[in-house]
Amino acid sequence: MKIIIPIKQVPETSNVKIDEETGTIVREGVESIVNPLDLYAIEAGIQLKEERGAEITVVSMGPPSAEKALKEAIAMGCDDGILISGKEFAGSDTWATSYTISRAVKKLGKFDLILTGERATDGETGQVGPGIASFLDLPVSTYTSRIVEVTEVSIVVERLIEEGYEMLRMPLPALVSVVKEICFPRLPTLRGKQKAKKTELARWNADNMDIERSALGLNGSPTRVVKIETPKVTRSGEVVRVTDEESLADAVERFLTFLRKKGIL
Amino acid sequence: MKYNPVTVEIVDQLSKIVGSKNVITDRERLEAYSHDETPTEQYAHMPEVVVTPTSAEEIAEIMRLANHELIPVTPRGAGSGLSGGAIPDYGGIVISVEKMNQILEIDYGNMMMVLEPGVVTNHVNEVIEEEGLFYAGYPMSVETCYIGGNVAENAGGGKAVKYGVTGRYVMGLELVTPTGEIVQLGGKRVKDVTGYDLKQLIIGSEGTLGIVTKVIIKLLPLPTAKVDLLVLFEDVKSAIDMVPLIMTRGRIIPTSIEFMDKLSVKTSCEYLNEHLPYQQCGAMLLIEVDGNRAEQVEEDGETIGELCLEKGALEVYVADNHTTIERVWSVRRNIAEAFKVISPYQSLEDIVVPMAAIPDIMPELERISKKYDIQIPCYGHAGDGNLHATLVKNPDHSMEKWYQVEKEALTELYEATIKLGGTISGEHGIGSKRKPFMDIACDPVELELMRKIKKAFDPNNIMNPGKIFDME
Repeated sequence: MKIIIPIKQVPETSNVKIDEETGTIVREGVESIVNPLDLYAIEAGIQLKEERGAEITVVSMGPPSAEKALKEAIAMGCDDGILISGKEFAGSDTWATSYTISRAVKKLGKFDLILTGERATDGETGQVGPGIASFLDLPVSTYTSRIVEVTEVSIVVERLIEEGYEMLRMPLPALVSVVKEICFPRLPTLRGKQKAKKTELARWNADNMDIERSALGLNGSPTRVVKIETPKVTRSGEVVRVTDEESLADAVERFLTFLRKKGIL
Repeated sequence: MKYNPVTVEIVDQLSKIVGSKNVITDRERLEAYSHDETPTEQYAHMPEVVVTPTSAEEIAEIMRLANHELIPVTPRGAGSGLSGGAIPDYGGIVISVEKMNQILEIDYGNMMMVLEPGVVTNHVNEVIEEEGLFYAGYPMSVETCYIGGNVAENAGGGKAVKYGVTGRYVMGLELVTPTGEIVQLGGKRVKDVTGYDLKQLIIGSEGTLGIVTKVIIKLLPLPTAKVDLLVLFEDVKSAIDMVPLIMTRGRIIPTSIEFMDKLSVKTSCEYLNEHLPYQQCGAMLLIEVDGNRAEQVEEDGETIGELCLEKGALEVYVADNHTTIERVWSVRRNIAEAFKVISPYQSLEDIVVPMAAIPDIMPELERISKKYDIQIPCYGHAGDGNLHATLVKNPDHSMEKWYQVEKEALTELYEATIKLGGTISGEHGIGSKRKPFMDIACDPVELELMRKIKKAFDPNNIMNPGKIFDME
């Protein structure tokens, strides 16, 4: 079967700093990685490949440096990668991004399954996966926690819903966005890394894709980021510490008085 | 040695020296100073009073008072030690350096830093990271320990293969002697052969020869690139055999070569809910290379990886970004925590053998484990021969039985280690925990020299008494 996995390169955010004036992430000096939630889509794809044979193409829209993310996916076990990169795509919102990737999928020709992560850890929208499905008119399963069965013509998945699980059978081709429960992403191997290094990525832009230019980038985006605000913290915590002058019993008494005043005790 | 108790009058005098807010006598608060990271039940002991001075002069005055009154004094850093070094075995006064936590100077011209002993070692690297510098001597307990404690224990860690341990980076010290004098040892000099190297004598003396009140450390340029390889081997022997080859055949000195046996990896992975494919392997190596050119580091990683595969490694995983590097290291770092879930009672050891002798110590561990019916997971810094063979109490055994087993099994472990040219502690220290085994580890002449040195520094034996060796 033929699997397509759109992925995104995101800033590594465990050590992220926020610019206090603009409220945006400081990207200088921050390492870029494969969106952690996309790793689950990649792993799910590779497991399907191992079980029943498949060819996996990873697609990423982003700056030239996104090549690194595609190579990491290939090192894990994907077969080839496509980098969609060009000034014309800069500033795309989720609509323009979904449109662009859907055109890339069209260009790739026949396929059976699109796998995506739940959302990207920088934008946090979770809209691009279903957006692609919408442009391509594909059945979609979001929050997918298990792939139960795959045949030539259909896929059975289990997805998380508020009260438990829902099982869906969908005709192929389809789009499945997955959550962490689905698998444990593997680490890339040395042999995988070496293969990825040798793999030539396809580089696409608006010139070699059948695509409506007016629907791309900032101009093609119906939504705008008007303002980014860091919410004001209205709660404040107080840690009761034993000061140098008092005993533990004094501090506990101080704490109890505080609780009584607040009407908690 | 008979010591005098800390009386109300002594507490008053201490208050005069450091101010009453820096004197702790409240029992609940004293409790926090009664133990370190060794099991409380066996090793803890309450201090009579804790003082938190803010200067070397105050400490010197306390030492003079303690000498006059014959009261034992135990210095204390962050309390993250693993040999009981900071525990006041004879009660008395604990001097905690927690309030002496200032960075006194960052000297970019000399690439050095002057620190008070209570500075958290991890904080040092946070401060100088932006300047492209780092302190290479820090151990694994990165987030808690103090530089003063690191000096007292000559702490090591995961990067010793390439960077060595604390002692290599300490250029100078200020010391308050047990008799209450303040002395400067070493300085901002790379070379110094003026007389005996007393600075190095103090490093690793476990607080028995004085209290360090200032530390000058050397900084290095911070490597900007690193790659980690997680290499799976069929068995312990093939993993360990690989270690010297990385250096002798690969011609590369990695930053770390950490070894983990299957039991360690399995327990840690289960604890973390991490799914590394450890089922098929008998042992793993975690190898890190660092440098300032990404291509060079990648190439070094590849050379080592190829060599491992050539020597029969089952698989080589590559982690070259923050996320994957954290993932592989967290397995290594959480081993000790993971075993605490199985049994809170364990004896965390840090035996060290010559690098080439590691394969021979492994069957010994297995034999001792079988004989005493306990688990002995083994992991550690294979690159420098320092292994954390950890005796874990069998949950079915009573505490009495465990104490018995621990003593006998440790004796056998240490004897086997020494037979291979190793010794009983590589980085945690002797403290009180390993003191009973000093006569199997040291030559009697060596021990006698140590006693004479101790006597010269501390004629009344009030400075951290009962640690490393007994005076009689």
